[in-house]
Amino acid sequence: MTSQADFVQPPRIANWLVNLFAAGEGESLIGDMLEEFSHLTSKSGVAFARKWYWRQTRKTIAHLVGNAFRVAPWLTAATVIGGLFLNRLVSGLPEQAIFAVLHKYHVFDHHFSAYVFFATDGLAIGHVIASMFVGCVVALAAKGREMVATMTLALVLGAMAGAASLVLVARGHDSFPPWMLPWYFADWFAIVIGGAIVRMRRSSATTLPSVA
Amino acid sequence: MSGRDYLGEFEHIIVLALLRLADRAYGVTVRQEIEFRTNREVSIGAVYATLDRLETKGYVKSHRGDPTPERGGRSKRFFRVTAKGVAAVNRTQRALQSMTEGLGLIRSYQ
Repeated sequence: MTSQADFVQPPRIANWLVNLFAAGEGESLIGDMLEEFSHLTSKSGVAFARKWYWRQTRKTIAHLVGNAFRVAPWLTAATVIGGLFLNRLVSGLPEQAIFAVLHKYHVFDHHFSAYVFFATDGLAIGHVIASMFVGCVVALAAKGREMVATMTLALVLGAMAGAASLVLVARGHDSFPPWMLPWYFADWFAIVIGGAIVRMRRSSATTLPSVA
Repeated sequence: MSGRDYLGEFEHIIVLALLRLADRAYGVTVRQEIEFRTNREVSIGAVYATLDRLETKGYVKSHRGDPTPERGGRSKRFFRVTAKGVAAVNRTQRALQSMTEGLGLIRSYQ
């Protein structure tokens, strides 16, 4: 016999987040959370069960992040440092590629507005794509700790940009133009998105088919 | 000091829960046993993080059970304490008893 509780799904976003951070133990961990959610739904109601699920999700992610650093600190550090070098290597490529194309086709002379677009927003979009590529590579290297490695890399890059900005201001130079700030955030976010893409690909490759 | 390590506080609690639950020990039952006996809310992530650490140290072994529909087709991961784990919990227990002996902690702090 199936009760109504059997059809209640836990919060999808919470489930997705746990799946992103859980490495090898993901399948049984999420299974345990679903089992308790199912019991709580029939015992205390959907609202209570959902609240419990979110609370478990928050605490579980915090523990999984901490555990990733404890279990493999060198792997995490190595992938972050490698990511910093890779980011340094590829961050100039969009600029070189876009200006090479713009100069080759004399865009400045014939389509000035297009030139302005590619030299500003186009360049920023190129950086976002390059950042996502860096995030994917770092996640591929940090097997099982994709999200921790990419989030750490994004935080380190953010901290470095903040420190560089402060040094510029302290030396009497102008800091980064404010309109660039959203693009910087987009770059760091793209690194994490790259990690999430790799994690989801790996997760879907290892997920067992559901029991009917 | 490998092989002579003591268990941390939460590791100690987890191993005792596994010993209590015997062949029924998996994430849900371990978490509920700890909550029931210690009155402390424990996240499933904390349980798994500690169990993984204990497994790496060789104190615990795990195996997968069958998938069930209420778990979205996901299998349970059952845990059991190894002989090395039993030795570690005994060592920790003896050290704690030895440290608290004669202090009258329960009487004076109740």
